[in-house]
Amino acid sequence: MQNVVERVLNLLIYLLESPNPVTADDVRNTVHGYADQSDEAFHRMFERDKDVLRRLGVPLKREALDAWEIDYGYTVDPEEYAIPDPRLDHEERVALSVAARMVRLGGAEAGVGAIIKLGGIERGAGLEPLAADLGEGAETLGALFGAITERRSVEFTYRGEIRPVQPYGIAHRRGHWYLVGRAPEGNRMYRVDRISGLEVGERPNAFKKPRGFDIKDAFRAQPWETGPDPELMATVRFDSDVAWWAARSLGLAEHEEDLTAEVRVTNRDAFVGWILSFGASAEVLGPGELRDLVSQRVNEALGQIA
Amino acid sequence: MTSARTVSRLSRILALIPYVLDRSSADVSEIIDRFGYTQDQLTRDLNTIFVCGLPGYGPGDLMEAYLDEDEVVIDAADFFAKAPRLTPTEALGLLAAGMTVIGSGEASPALESAVRKLTKAVIPDADTALTVDVLDESKHVGALRDAAAGEKVVRIVYRSVGKEATTTREIEPWSVFTTLGRWYVFGHCRLVDGPRTFRVDRIKELGPTGEGFQRPADIPEHGVGYSPSADDVVCVIDLQPAARWVLEYYPVEVVKESAKQTRIRFHSPDAEVPARLLLRLGRDATLVEGPLVADRMREIGRKLLTKYQ
Repeated sequence: MQNVVERVLNLLIYLLESPNPVTADDVRNTVHGYADQSDEAFHRMFERDKDVLRRLGVPLKREALDAWEIDYGYTVDPEEYAIPDPRLDHEERVALSVAARMVRLGGAEAGVGAIIKLGGIERGAGLEPLAADLGEGAETLGALFGAITERRSVEFTYRGEIRPVQPYGIAHRRGHWYLVGRAPEGNRMYRVDRISGLEVGERPNAFKKPRGFDIKDAFRAQPWETGPDPELMATVRFDSDVAWWAARSLGLAEHEEDLTAEVRVTNRDAFVGWILSFGASAEVLGPGELRDLVSQRVNEALGQIA
Repeated sequence: MTSARTVSRLSRILALIPYVLDRSSADVSEIIDRFGYTQDQLTRDLNTIFVCGLPGYGPGDLMEAYLDEDEVVIDAADFFAKAPRLTPTEALGLLAAGMTVIGSGEASPALESAVRKLTKAVIPDADTALTVDVLDESKHVGALRDAAAGEKVVRIVYRSVGKEATTTREIEPWSVFTTLGRWYVFGHCRLVDGPRTFRVDRIKELGPTGEGFQRPADIPEHGVGYSPSADDVVCVIDLQPAARWVLEYYPVEVVKESAKQTRIRFHSPDAEVPARLLLRLGRDATLVEGPLVADRMREIGRKLLTKYQ
C-alpha cells in the first residue's frame, strides 16, 4: 500500500502541474514508481491508480490528442480539482462535525469523509445523546446521488426487470431509501435496497428535470392518501385507548377521549389495512362501501385460518 | 480492486496538506484530534509526503514534511493548496447527516445555515433532490434528548409494542436514536430494573420526575429487535407475495421461501399483534399453525363483524 500511496501522490502532482494532457507513455516515463514494469503490469497499475484518483474525487479527464482520436491524454484541471469553499464559520463547522458523527449510513459515520476534506473535525461540543442510523450501503446511494446531480441516466434491475430511469431525487423515509425518477411509463419510485446491477450513463446533462421538482412533495402523504382510487372521505371512530395514537398519525392535536375523524382516502386497500391494525378499537362509520370493504377483508382473513 | 484503506489514507493526506499550508503553525495534538490520526499514522503520512513531489524527484522537487517539536510542518506543496472536491458519496453522507439532525427538530440555527451553505457550494440543487424524513410525530424526541443530556429521570406512560397494554414507568434515558424509520429511547427502566429500549411513538405521556441520575460509564449496546422469550405466543404464517412487506416490519423468522409464498414463524408476547396483522392481510396470508392466534382472530373478527352488520 505504501508504494501505491506514493505513486498516486506523484501521479496526481504530475497531472495537476502539466499544462497539457499527458499520455500513458508520458506517465510511464516520467512519474516515479512506474518504471521497470512490463507493458501488462504497467497497464494494470495505471488503471488501478486512475480508479483511486476517481474515488478520491479527482476530476480526471481523458481527451483525444488528435483529430483522428488515435492518441489520448489525461488531465486534471486544478480549478476543478479544488473543493469549493462553503465559507462556514466556526459555529457552523462545530454543528456539522457533531451531526456528521451522530448519523450513520452504511455502517459508518455518514459525514466524516466530507468533514475531513472540509478541514477536519471540530471539537468543542459536549455529550450528544442523539443518534440516527440511515441504514443501507452508501455505495449505490452515492452512485445514484452522483447521477442525479450530474443528470445522468441510469439503468438497473428491479424485481427481475431492467429499468431505464432518469433519476430526479432520493429520499430516506420510514427506514428506507427511495429513488424517484422518470421511467418510460411515467414517474416512479424505487426502493434503493432492491436495486441491483446499477449502470450510470456516460453522458452528463442527459435529461432535464421537471421545473419545480421537489423530492419532498413525493413523500408528503400517508399511504391511504396515495393511490389511484377515486377520492372518498371516510368517517372513522377511534376508541379512547387508541385515539391519541390515531390522532398522531392523522396530524391532529393530542386526544384523550374517543375520536371521530374525517380521513381522505385514495388508496382503499391501504386504508382498510390501517383501520384493521387497530383491531376492534376503530370503526369506519361511513361511507357504506368502505364499511363493506372492511367487513369483507375480515371475512377473508377468517376464511384463511387453516 | 483497490482497497478502501488506500483511498481513505490518501484522502486524509490530501486534506491534511492544505490545512497545514493554510496556517502559520499547526500543533501536533490538534492535527491528531482534527483528522482522527494516531501519532504513528501521522508520522507515517508525513514520511510519505516528503518522498513525493515533482518529476525529477531531486531535493528541490520533493515536498517538505516533518515534525518540529510540537508542530507539523509541510512546505513546497502548492499544487495541494486545496483538498479535492467531495465525491457524491461524501456529499450525500454529510448532507444526509445534517438533514437528519434538522429533521429531528433538534438542530441549532448554526447547523441549518451550515447545511444551506454547503448545499449551495457543493451541489446547488441538492435540497430538492435529497430529503431525509425522520419525523418525530410524537414531539417527544427533544424532551427525551434533553433529559438524557441533563441526566434527568422521566416518567412515561407507555403502550407496549408486543402486548397491547399501557404501563407507567420511570426511566433513566441514556440515548435517543432513530433506526429503520422509528425513534427509540434507550435507558434504564426502573420498572423492570434493567436496560430497555422504548419506541418513542408509543410514549403516550412524558414528564420529569424531578430526580436526577448518574449515567453509567459503560453503556451497553442498545438493540431494537424483539428478543423472543419462553412465554411467547408462536405462530406460523404463509405470506403471499403481496404480504411480503411483513418481513421488513416485524421481527420474524423465515422458515421456507419460494417465488409463490413465504412461510414465517412469528414470535410475540401475546396473540393480539399477529391476530391484527392477519386480519389486515386478508387473503394475502394464511395462518398455518397457532391456535391462540386463531382464537384471538375469531374474537376480534366477531366484534368487528357485529359492528359492521
